[in-house]
Amino acid sequence: MDKNQSIITCKDVSTDRLKDISFELRRKQITTIVGPSGAGKSSLLFLLNRLEEPTSGEIYYLGRNIKDIPVTQLRCEIGMVFQSAYLFDGTAEENIQYGPKLRGEVEDCDVNRLLDLVDLPQSFKSRYVTSLSGGEQQRVAIARTFANKPSVLLLDEATSALDIKTTEHIEELLIRLRDEKEISVLMVTHNLKQAERMGEQTLYIEEGRLLESGLTSEIFEHPETNHFEQFLKE
Amino acid sequence: MEGNEISNLSLLFIIVFVFIPVSLSYWFSLDLSKTIIWSSIRGVAQLFIIGYVLTFLFDLPSWQGIGLWVTVMVIVAAINASRKGRNIPYVFPVVLMVISLTEVFILSLWLLFGYIPFSAEKVIPISGMVIGNSMIAIGLALERLQHQFSEEKGRILAALSLGATPNQASLQIIRKTLKAALIPNIDGLKTIGLVQLPGMMTGLILGGVSPLDAVRYQIVISLSIFVSVAVCAMMVTLLLYRFYFNDKMQLIDLNS
Repeated sequence: MDKNQSIITCKDVSTDRLKDISFELRRKQITTIVGPSGAGKSSLLFLLNRLEEPTSGEIYYLGRNIKDIPVTQLRCEIGMVFQSAYLFDGTAEENIQYGPKLRGEVEDCDVNRLLDLVDLPQSFKSRYVTSLSGGEQQRVAIARTFANKPSVLLLDEATSALDIKTTEHIEELLIRLRDEKEISVLMVTHNLKQAERMGEQTLYIEEGRLLESGLTSEIFEHPETNHFEQFLKE
Repeated sequence: MEGNEISNLSLLFIIVFVFIPVSLSYWFSLDLSKTIIWSSIRGVAQLFIIGYVLTFLFDLPSWQGIGLWVTVMVIVAAINASRKGRNIPYVFPVVLMVISLTEVFILSLWLLFGYIPFSAEKVIPISGMVIGNSMIAIGLALERLQHQFSEEKGRILAALSLGATPNQASLQIIRKTLKAALIPNIDGLKTIGLVQLPGMMTGLILGGVSPLDAVRYQIVISLSIFVSVAVCAMMVTLLLYRFYFNDKMQLIDLNS
């Protein structure tokens, strides 16, 4: 598969919060979305996971309109991690097996490998999720999403509640997952330094409009709009 | 209750009991006096009216009296219970249908097994107990359902995002809702007769029926109530949780 191949394409997508959003997410690419609170950043991720529906415009996944893909299949292929881990009652293992179990594929789910992937010891398998720290819970949430073997990972401020050290670990993990598993990542962040560190491409959304997008290094250095320039200064 | 009737004069003396909480409310400035007096007057008036209505109904041919009053009870119960879930679409018709079907089912069993004859004096009071308890359980289920969908929104979204269907994503909520709705009745059934004698059994014993005969009636009514409560809570929950999702398996925020 060509690295430049578009894995997700948004064409003039609008909702009551978003207006005419168009962009492309490429394979093995980490894209960050920045913008003020309430700009519609999370709404965009909800649309891609089909947790919400656009009022107009089209979204394509690997060239297919997402409306033509069975919803449960699409949600497995475009995985999502939320700001809170939202783990289910039970052990880390039960959480990680949740997706495969729904499809009757629990035997194919290697929990040890997934825990290893998110840098958690195998002894965590039997740990109740309520006994885990915030960072550990978020790692279990990422492992749980990865158990579905997605090609795209959507992160909705997934590190915003975590300390710097844990955030760095998760950032390293995402880069490793992109390199080893060839996944694409679209992450919403309010942390501009994180966007600069992680994003090859950055989208700037304000009041539901995509005001600026491009290679992170370029648009952070030479913002084209006053809005984004002002946002960077703040 | 021969020789044990309550005269109008002795009934009047019960007012003394009402003045005890009224005086306490006045003494401790609780500002509850008006509410207590109003509730007491309203309760007494309602009971007298019901007494006259029941006398009228018992004089009608059985199928008319039963048909008329059971319909009224079912509609009032459905209105009352569905208020607890007013944000959920179609809550009233669903609750009305569930209570009606359950009442017909329970009544058919009573008549089929000959527990009670088809007479208004027997069917109306026992149906009242079954419908009243079902109304409370449905109200609890609806309150809990709304609360759970609001509290657990994040987990439901997480489950959907992992490929769960609405049914799979709501499983925990359905379990918690039904437990909350059924636990008062399960606990009541466990301690029946140990903590307090059930109202119907007490009434029969006071009316001169032997305790063992009263117990037989109580078993029929207690199990009928339990079955009715369980069936109503389950049906209402299982029929209504679906309205929190659209046909694209997306969560709809009904509580906002």
